[in-house]
Amino acid sequence: MRAWGWIRAYAVAVYVFMFAPVAVVLLLAFNSSQFSGFPIEGFSLRWFRRLFENEAIMRAFETSFSLGLLTAACATTLGILASLALVRYRFRGKDWITALLISPVLVPETVLAVGLLIFLRWLSMPRSFLLLLLGHTMIALPFVVLVVQARLVGIRRDYEEAARSLGASPLETFWQITLPLLMPAVFAGALFAFTISFDNITATIFWRPAGTETVPTQIFGMLRNSVSPEINALGFVMIVVTVGVPLAAGALARYFARRRQ
Amino acid sequence: MAQAREIDPRPWYLLSPALLAIALLVVVPMSFILVYSFYENIDLGLDAPAFQFGNWRELLTDGYYHDAIWKTFRLSAIVTVLAAVLGYVPAYFIANTRFRHKWLLLLLLILPFWVSFIIRTLSWIHIMGNQGAINGLLLWLGVIDEPLPMMFNEFAVIVGFIHVFLPYMILNVYVSLEGIDRNLEPAARTLGCTPWQAFLEVTLPLSLPGLAAGCLLVFVLTAGSYVTPLILGGPDDFLFGNLIYDAVLSELNWPMGATLSFALLVLLGVVVVVYSRFMRLNQLSKAFG
Amino acid sequence: MKIDSTKRYEVLRERLGNGDVDRRTFFRLLGFAGMAAGVSGGVMTGLSRRALAAGTELHFEGWGGVVSEALRKHAFDPYEKKTGNTVIDATFGGEAEVLTKVRAAGSTDGHNILHSSGVSWYKRWVDAGYGTELNLANIPNVDNVMDSIMAPFRAITPDSLSAVPYDYGTTGIAYNTEHVSREQAEKLGADLLLAKELKGKIGGWGGDWANRAWYGALQSGQDPNDIEDWDAVWDKVREHRSLVLKYWSSGAELMDLLAKGEIWVTEAWSGRVAALQAQGHPIGYLDPKNGLAWMESMFVLKGSPMAEAEELLNFMLDPQTAIAVAEGQKYPPSLDPQKVAMTPVIEKLPAYDPTGKLAGLVFRDPDKWNPVEKQQRKAWNRIKKGA
Repeated sequence: MRAWGWIRAYAVAVYVFMFAPVAVVLLLAFNSSQFSGFPIEGFSLRWFRRLFENEAIMRAFETSFSLGLLTAACATTLGILASLALVRYRFRGKDWITALLISPVLVPETVLAVGLLIFLRWLSMPRSFLLLLLGHTMIALPFVVLVVQARLVGIRRDYEEAARSLGASPLETFWQITLPLLMPAVFAGALFAFTISFDNITATIFWRPAGTETVPTQIFGMLRNSVSPEINALGFVMIVVTVGVPLAAGALARYFARRRQ
Repeated sequence: MAQAREIDPRPWYLLSPALLAIALLVVVPMSFILVYSFYENIDLGLDAPAFQFGNWRELLTDGYYHDAIWKTFRLSAIVTVLAAVLGYVPAYFIANTRFRHKWLLLLLLILPFWVSFIIRTLSWIHIMGNQGAINGLLLWLGVIDEPLPMMFNEFAVIVGFIHVFLPYMILNVYVSLEGIDRNLEPAARTLGCTPWQAFLEVTLPLSLPGLAAGCLLVFVLTAGSYVTPLILGGPDDFLFGNLIYDAVLSELNWPMGATLSFALLVLLGVVVVVYSRFMRLNQLSKAFG
Repeated sequence: MKIDSTKRYEVLRERLGNGDVDRRTFFRLLGFAGMAAGVSGGVMTGLSRRALAAGTELHFEGWGGVVSEALRKHAFDPYEKKTGNTVIDATFGGEAEVLTKVRAAGSTDGHNILHSSGVSWYKRWVDAGYGTELNLANIPNVDNVMDSIMAPFRAITPDSLSAVPYDYGTTGIAYNTEHVSREQAEKLGADLLLAKELKGKIGGWGGDWANRAWYGALQSGQDPNDIEDWDAVWDKVREHRSLVLKYWSSGAELMDLLAKGEIWVTEAWSGRVAALQAQGHPIGYLDPKNGLAWMESMFVLKGSPMAEAEELLNFMLDPQTAIAVAEGQKYPPSLDPQKVAMTPVIEKLPAYDPTGKLAGLVFRDPDKWNPVEKQQRKAWNRIKKGA
């Protein structure tokens, strides 16, 4: 089909656009010159060595990673529940509830961050990891709600009703029908939530407890001096880990599935 | 389902955790901010509790702020439209490809986020700068004699925004396309539609909720940004968010910063409410279609 | 476009089947990913040495990067070893951010020592009631600090000090030597930033109003520490703006723009230019007459454990530490070269003054600048945006 060929070419072009800046970063991770720039002066792995020797950034990576996973879990759970209510039930004031759920993206993060800090002072509570988690969950929530909602609208109620008429309880219906059909959205939402948490800097700077650094805040500190190639190396490692781990997991899963058969 | 018309507590059970979180983490803090907008700024970082409308008067009467609002809405609209145009086709591709590992295609979209936002944004200089990849290639090919100025203008800002927000658009459209019954388009074809007609009559309307959600997200996210224009734009490229940033972190004028933030919140909130009203109509017509 | 109900049921069953398989695979994938993450996380935890909290905790906030690496290695680690106290170092984006946090939280909890920039900020912290009184007897290394760099701080708090000066630098003019000759740069001085033939190749620091105004004063022929005609200052700033490609807002951005040849002329921080020169980039540096100099201090905030903080400051002022930090960040230390031997690296840094008198440098007079700040900062923020 000619049309499909065009669509594929278009999609590939968009992917190229998405990856252009990343490709630059990845290439420069191997540049031996301290000052990242083209043309590349020589191949070197020294930035990787520097990266792994850098304890602070490894610790920050650990913090960011666990924070991201927890944020994804919390935001996805809250987001699915809320989306179910918004799409599957009729009630008054739905538009306003939707606006309220999306409100965290409507407010500049600096302001949101300062407002929350004032509130904490009023409660006389210190900053903590929990605050960071709650804050990130809130920032990620609108994204999950929008994605899951868009998908739920597309899932026809006939399926759920058919399951109910076949004798399934509402909870069973949810687990057996709705959730599996929702899985792409759940996956996309969780991915969003994790990513948003992982890349957040503005609010994190204000909320983090003393002595806690996430990867972006750590990078922010390194940036004062220059764009250090260590950061490019970190980007490379991150991408290898995030593509490599699921790929390896998928390969393992397929391997075990084949053995079982 | 007819009895659902009466007051049904179930949606509220489902909504309560999310609403509680939003109430505690957004609504209460924002009401503190609202109170602050009536305070008076005496000197840098020094505010006095008061109840006066000076900040709001300044916002409403000063053309400086109105220009920024206009600029913000204009740029957000441009970015949204371009993101929709650029994002729909790849989403359609991912949803309909025979390639078995769709999740990999989705993951690839998110990957650029793994490289720090600031680094990613700065790296456009490597691509579009005077010594960047594009100019280097064109000079080498002899198409141009002088590097094309592509950086530090509105174009660069738009490119930066689209790069950051396109995945939001694609993923939203994708989840909605993925939910469409695969048999519908062939069915339309057997009824005599051309592929293009089948797409326009069946797939496009059914994917509108996702497209709408994506557009809303991109619009709102662009309107609230300030870092991208700061890094990629020239002196003339700024958004309302930059004024808020200036007020809070540079002028240390919290009351004005609070006023500006609250204004932005209200403006965007109205956009969301109007928009979701409008989209509800769309969904209704779709349900009967 | 209705599908009949038999067909629909078939679709449903098919979907269910698919969904079920999908879900199982998905969860299995998730399980493996989790295992992998757990293993790598465990390994990393094992690798990273965790400081055991014992004794007093001191919170230090600075500019990060090579500075904090040098401080960690030469000051914090030996200090922790000797005293059993813990230093928790963090990076800030600027003091405005710390002030915002302290004000929002209503207390200085979690903030003890700041790498504070400029005498203006010293005055602001003290005026806001966050200052302390250091017992200099506990900081013997302060004797090595130049008297000339202590004086501006003493002028603000005559009876005591709340900070010790730590380093200094200048904001001069950087130019690309392939496009601008040394003679031309020296002839034009501050007016190099207004050279019409360089339109679109000129940059400027967008983050600080006072820096902008300082150069506007120089260009309009006024004494920057005694500006009388602010309109003339801002007229020059507007003239500069019309030629500017980009107002940069961080050291990383400044270096990136200069190194890639996006801009040829800009005002610049001496240490950043020194770093570029060390990389072999063709960048020249010029301190115009009455160019702007500034100093940074280690500020101790109210509510800090004083004895411990003083001991830490003493460690940081130790010549070996101070010189290592200075070599890293490329700003000369506050130590008097007449009393402490400097390394050749330090002696080549821009702005470095071997006499220890700092007579050639002009600092911002906070008594002149702070009172007009509220109004003029706002003026700059608007002019920057074309108003």
